[in-house]
Amino acid sequence: MSVSRDDVLRIAQLAELDVEEDALPDVAEQMSRILDYVAQLSAMPASTNGTVKTFVPGPDAIRFRPDEVAPWPLAFGPAAFAPAFKEGFFVVPKLGQFE
Amino acid sequence: MAAGWETVIGLETHVQLRTKSKMFCGCSTAFGAPPNTQVCPVCLGLPGALPVPNGAAIRLAVRGALSLGCTVHPKSIFARKNYFYPDLPKGYQISQHDQPLATNGTLSFVSPERGIVNATIVRLHVEEDAGKSIHDRFPKATAVDLNRSGVPLIEIVGGSARVPTDAQAAARVHRHLRLRHGEGQSARRRQRVGAAGGCHGPQHAD
Amino acid sequence: MSDAKAVADRLVKSKRLNALLTPSKELRSALTAQAAAARPTGVLYGMPVAVKDNICTLEFTTTCGSRILEGYRSPYEATAVTKLKAAGALIAGKTNCDEFAMGSSTEHSAYGRVVHPLDKTRVPGGSSGGSAALVGAGALPAALGSETGGSVRQPASFCGVVGIKPTYGRVSRYGLVAFGSSLDQIGVLGRSVHDAARVLSVISGRDPRDATCEDRDPLRLPTVPESLQGFVIGLPREYFPAELDPAVRRACDRAVRLLRDLGAAVREVSLPHTAYAVPTYYVIAPAEASSNLARYDGVRYGPRFDGHADLRGLYRATRGQGFGAEVRRRILVGTYVLSAGFYDAYYRRAQQMRALIAQDFRNVFDRGVDLLFTPTTPSPAFKAGEKLSDPIAMYMSDIFTVTANLAGVPAISLPIGRVKGLPIGGQLIGQAFLEDEMLEAAYALERVVPATDEA
Repeated sequence: MSVSRDDVLRIAQLAELDVEEDALPDVAEQMSRILDYVAQLSAMPASTNGTVKTFVPGPDAIRFRPDEVAPWPLAFGPAAFAPAFKEGFFVVPKLGQFE
Repeated sequence: MAAGWETVIGLETHVQLRTKSKMFCGCSTAFGAPPNTQVCPVCLGLPGALPVPNGAAIRLAVRGALSLGCTVHPKSIFARKNYFYPDLPKGYQISQHDQPLATNGTLSFVSPERGIVNATIVRLHVEEDAGKSIHDRFPKATAVDLNRSGVPLIEIVGGSARVPTDAQAAARVHRHLRLRHGEGQSARRRQRVGAAGGCHGPQHAD
Repeated sequence: MSDAKAVADRLVKSKRLNALLTPSKELRSALTAQAAAARPTGVLYGMPVAVKDNICTLEFTTTCGSRILEGYRSPYEATAVTKLKAAGALIAGKTNCDEFAMGSSTEHSAYGRVVHPLDKTRVPGGSSGGSAALVGAGALPAALGSETGGSVRQPASFCGVVGIKPTYGRVSRYGLVAFGSSLDQIGVLGRSVHDAARVLSVISGRDPRDATCEDRDPLRLPTVPESLQGFVIGLPREYFPAELDPAVRRACDRAVRLLRDLGAAVREVSLPHTAYAVPTYYVIAPAEASSNLARYDGVRYGPRFDGHADLRGLYRATRGQGFGAEVRRRILVGTYVLSAGFYDAYYRRAQQMRALIAQDFRNVFDRGVDLLFTPTTPSPAFKAGEKLSDPIAMYMSDIFTVTANLAGVPAISLPIGRVKGLPIGGQLIGQAFLEDEMLEAAYALERVVPATDEA
């Protein structure tokens, strides 16, 4: 399974990650190696009857919370940790004009 | 419009469930608070925070599903819809994908064009709302308020309305669904035409 | 009761390890303040416990070994930390780790690598390398780490200390920065089984803030047993392959003889899907990570990086520069395996394989086996830089540990010998929520195994 330069760019876009131009070939190669390695999972026959038996540890059913206004505590508010905060709002640059 | 083409509008309605607290945390859902004051580690998407579902929200969603004649599934799964947006603090929305709460209902309404229509409800699922992005408060910047982030919603995916006026009639019926926790301020609705995309996410409670 | 100054002195003296991320001055004043406030009735009264930097604390910053959270002060603390403090423990700083817990050597921290306590040219293991190195150097009796694929047990084996991974759902994950949500657990490094187990007992138990934490009382500690009569211990043949390092095999053989001498029945068993465990893990963990790390976008916390003319620019600059190479690689692999067209081929297959791996354990435990014994790592600590060029070589150091994370079962590593002077660990794998049986066997073995003798 060969991952191309363009594949990396497409995936990087989905993940909102910058990958430097000169790093692209290396990243593509490493991803290819990792994906080749994990591809041995396809040696296993696919489930034929359509029902996939999967496993996730933990409680079988979700435990619910009662509908009460009782937030888990915050020692201080967003103004203290936000990189840009003005008049009570988080501030971010606008989405570009030509996306 | 070219001959032989029919406008089909897929109806997707989001209805807020009238609970006191949010879908996955104990913050208040009360309207009108100063920005970013009804927030906690969970709905802020802080590192290490975890969602814990609101039982009352599920009960209201089930009630809504039953009132639409849906089949309510005893087992349904929360899944993540991953995308990036500033009012989506975790970078994903907890919603339902492959195994929603309910499917196969009917929404009956009177269409001005066609008389009584029994439109199918394809599915009804539970999800959390995103926060609010305000684009005109600061120049060249977006202001984000996360008070609304995490508020419980149900999404009702309806059968296609054949003409725009059908959609309006259907919406009016939605309004009469008794999904309010109590009397008072009406449930907010937002209608969106079309369907949302996005990659699959890991199927896990959080 | 530890003297706050003595604790601080010992930690400052181990600066050369680069294991502690907390500056000395801040550490000293925090320890003094905590010592004054600590509850004398707590079962861990005065015990200094360091905390891996991917676990939120109100004291000190929480960086997860990353630039993207440089200087971040969490406005809340993890439940495990709250419980430690309620028991009278002193939070003795934050430990260095592989960035976002992704790694097996603690060479992938943005704050420099951690040095092995006995050999400065070698790695302490990872991702909880800082915690393991401090305990291994004798600077602390215990430290919190975290496990996703062996990140407590593997460094425990390398550093000659005890490392416990609890059953998934035994310890609350509220405040543990998520990497692989279905795999993550807070674990404990300790200088002895008793020290590690005491801390585990305190941090375990129900938590309404974590829906995946089981509604159980805190772990009750067993007493040290006279013998292991009645225990059936399985040796899974897949963990003792022909190519296993002969010295590691000798150390394990010696430990098995001791288990027999203690009265346990030992038999060979099989976990047939073991060979698929590492590839399964390296599909599921990056997939979950790619989603869990989406929240690091420069919007609400952490530093902002240059180059944000618009929103997308902000995201890409922050994540491109804030994340290190290994994290970026895993996010890309994870995004790939979850993307349209590849979901079924990779992610769905891995989930099915995970079910088979979990079933392997159930099958063995259902047939009268109480515990499994295996080597923890295929070799002792490797040299720094040795595995950096080949990610797969690095991943293979998790070969004996990832199965327990995939199956959600508890496991403990304890030192069982030395290989050319370097520590090596042996692992006991237990049944879900039966940590007490696992600890009984660990206590008994620890008392008799010559942990510092060459194998």
